Amino acid sequence: MKKPSPFGPAARLAVQVFMVLIVVASLLPLYNVISASLKPLDEYTTNPILLPLAPTLDNYRYAAFSGHLLRFSLNSLLYVPLGVVLYVVVCVMAGYAFGKMRFAARRPLFLLVLFMSIFPQLLLAMQVSKLISLLHLMNTGLGVILSWVAYFAPFGTYIMTTYFTDMPYDLVEAARIDGASQVRILASIMAPLALPMVATISIIGFQSMWGELPFSMLILQNEALRTVTLGIAVLRGEYGLRVPILSAALVIAMAVPLAIFLLFQRRITLGVTAGAIKG
Amino acid sequence: MRYRRGFESDGAAPYIFLAPLLALLAAFMIYPVVMNIITSFTEWKGYGPWKWIGLANYRTMIADPQFWTSILNTGLMVLYIPLSTVITLLIAGFLREGIRGWKVYRAALYIPNLLGYVLMGVIFSIYLRDDGPLNMAIKWITGSAVHFLITPVLAINAVGFLLVVFLHLGFGLIYFLAAMNGIDKEIYEAALIDGASFWRTFISVTIPSIRFAVEFWVVFNFIEVFARMFSFIHTLTQGGPGYSTFTLEYGIFIQGFSKFKVGYSSAWSVVLFLFCALISVAQIRLMQRRDE
Repeated sequence: MKKPSPFGPAARLAVQVFMVLIVVASLLPLYNVISASLKPLDEYTTNPILLPLAPTLDNYRYAAFSGHLLRFSLNSLLYVPLGVVLYVVVCVMAGYAFGKMRFAARRPLFLLVLFMSIFPQLLLAMQVSKLISLLHLMNTGLGVILSWVAYFAPFGTYIMTTYFTDMPYDLVEAARIDGASQVRILASIMAPLALPMVATISIIGFQSMWGELPFSMLILQNEALRTVTLGIAVLRGEYGLRVPILSAALVIAMAVPLAIFLLFQRRITLGVTAGAIKG
Repeated sequence: MRYRRGFESDGAAPYIFLAPLLALLAAFMIYPVVMNIITSFTEWKGYGPWKWIGLANYRTMIADPQFWTSILNTGLMVLYIPLSTVITLLIAGFLREGIRGWKVYRAALYIPNLLGYVLMGVIFSIYLRDDGPLNMAIKWITGSAVHFLITPVLAINAVGFLLVVFLHLGFGLIYFLAAMNGIDKEIYEAALIDGASFWRTFISVTIPSIRFAVEFWVVFNFIEVFARMFSFIHTLTQGGPGYSTFTLEYGIFIQGFSKFKVGYSSAWSVVLFLFCALISVAQIRLMQRRDE
């Protein structure tokens, strides 16, 4: 059945053409990266635009091993999930406290968290790197994970707070009458009910940490420890690096975000709307 | 908050639940901001002793053309926000009408958001360079290249357009479509029966109904412009040519981490902090109005 529409056939066609043009224009840079990554080095100079005439995987081999992209990807696949687990624990506990508990400092502390959720990283970067070196966490996964969790937790806490606030208070009340402790109420009643939102903030946390640059740049100065995002940013600045190799590195770096998108597309859609809306 | 009974405190338990968050924030956010304010009155290389110099850093900053370029650039980015809002709302309005393939369009336009600022910055640094594919095409048509990343005024506008308009499009579409989904369908049916055009309905039904979402979107864009641009600029232009694509964030980075003028860069940080405080107040006000 066709939905009634204010567009006549001509307008409908015009909108379709307009949308196709926008999508094509926005995907051209990506097409270029993928096609360049398959071209032999000297073919790119003579044929930068069209499809590769003699496709090769050499650039991938070079980027993955000599460019260490494989290593960097594995680093990210280690740090980011650990960071997400810690982030979820911190945000769920804090979100529950803000959403369902009563205490005098609730409002001022919550406003403080909201305020911090918009801080720029560069405002903090210098002192964060001093602090990390003071704690002897320079060039450690733990150092970068702690800085990520601290930086991204205010937003995750905000989302969890709005979710817990909207849950019926009767659940907490009933459990308390039964004599359950707050820890038990959160662990065995509220947190399981909040699982959909936990999944959503996990994706948000994953994407934020995966793409993070300034803190990892300052904390992970040892090349062997770099994340994939940091690895790409450093490669970009490498003088004289040929475009096909940089492109292959980019495609390798895209793999995980694209896989996450294909697996969790619906969850990502919900994540976008979880943040600010309800309006 | 709506409690059924009077205020009855949960004692120490909430603070225990909040302890991990508060400890992290104290160490990684509050302490750095306080230290920034202190070091902004000192001459400090980032290591070794400090020298107290009062307001000298602020005086230097006010006379520094790099600082004013950064402020003007940030202002220029802000000017892209209305364009971004109109384009995103309009496309969301089109997609709302259920045109064929709207889900595919929505997903395809979200891909840049998915890849993040670092990857997109590098991708565009290849795409826009003088011997890049876009310029090859332009040269083939017009005979001469457009120096997107070399002419200062083009470089800063490329950063503004790409970040504010292009990179937020996919996110904005999902966001606005979700908000539009909450509008009562009967209003649209009634408008259609009355023979109202798409534009008429868009302006007098759709936009007013999602007013709060639009306002949040604008605040979100302000946050992005002031506080989330570093990674994209660092990978697209590295602040250049010269310092023509500096923003406050990028200036802090250059002064602090590549020139080791940490005291001076802290003075920039204090200015950035004040801007963020203003944005935050606007955001909190907006939330309060919505919740009323």
